[in-house]
Amino acid sequence: MGFGDYPKEYNPSVHGPYDPARFYGKPDTPFAQVKINELGGWLARRNKSPQAIAGAFSRAWWRWQHKYVQPKKVGIAPFLQLLTGSMAFFYMINYGKMKHHRNYKYH
Amino acid sequence: MLSRVALRSAAARQSTALVVRGSATEVGGARDEQNFPRPVRGEPGKVRLGFVPEEWFQFFHSKTGVTGPYTFGVGLATYLCSKEIFVMEHEYYTGLSLALMVYIAAKKAGPSLAAYLDKEVDSIENQWNESRTDTIKSLEDAVEAEKQAQWRAQGQELLIQAKKENVLLQLEAAYRERLMNAYTEVKRRLDYQLEKSNVERRLSQKHMVDWIVSNVTKAITPDQEKQALDRCIADLAAIAGRK
Repeated sequence: MGFGDYPKEYNPSVHGPYDPARFYGKPDTPFAQVKINELGGWLARRNKSPQAIAGAFSRAWWRWQHKYVQPKKVGIAPFLQLLTGSMAFFYMINYGKMKHHRNYKYH
Repeated sequence: MLSRVALRSAAARQSTALVVRGSATEVGGARDEQNFPRPVRGEPGKVRLGFVPEEWFQFFHSKTGVTGPYTFGVGLATYLCSKEIFVMEHEYYTGLSLALMVYIAAKKAGPSLAAYLDKEVDSIENQWNESRTDTIKSLEDAVEAEKQAQWRAQGQELLIQAKKENVLLQLEAAYRERLMNAYTEVKRRLDYQLEKSNVERRLSQKHMVDWIVSNVTKAITPDQEKQALDRCIADLAAIAGRK
């Protein structure tokens, strides 16, 4: 599987048009339904190759796109989400410098 | 030699590419509409406070009720601020003022901008649909025209029938005219024959009379004439004497 290829599991004659937000492999238990004691096994079953991680991010991106950006009449929500997300991200990467601006020594 | 190697490697690469490409299509199988329906463009996801997904509130709702998520948010913010995990440096106040400006701008200009953009979206969609609807309409018009043409063709059949009847009438008229013509011609000839025979009889009679008269006058001698004259005079005298 190189760059620009479809996932290996995707079969056009069965799955129809390609949906970039969809996982075409064998579905595992959804994360929200995983019990705490099954969590270790669930994490061990995950494919942690760089391609799979990139694919997971890509699917999340497209799910967000399909839900908030691509519908016909969207409001300001996706822009505010992007704004908030980028604010949080840059706050996190600058957190080491922000720490020096603390006013109180003891809490 | 080198070019041949390059060619061979290129061919090999192409064949592997074909195999890789084929693996997706070769496997085949029936289309699974049940589990993999055709994606459709949905409505935008619901949000609260401008950007927080509704689902996060629903996640809280079953456990904590309506105010739970707000309580959680405010409580978390309070915790982060009070422990100074969230550090409020000078940029924080810039952010607050920016957020206020964004809020006011969204409240002031938002509705009119939304209306304008929705109108644009609709107009673009109409533009894209226009050729399709126009094509459908033109095809429907063509079907209508075709039906009209068929109806007219049926009218043509009636017309042809009427023309045929007309031709039959003309033939009948011509036949009758010729019949009349033949009758008048025969009558004319018969009239001619009658007239001719009449004339012949009259001429022969006249000739006979002339002949008889001329022969009779020729046969009268001067003696007889004299006798007749005398006789006449005697008769005249007798008539005169009787008076």
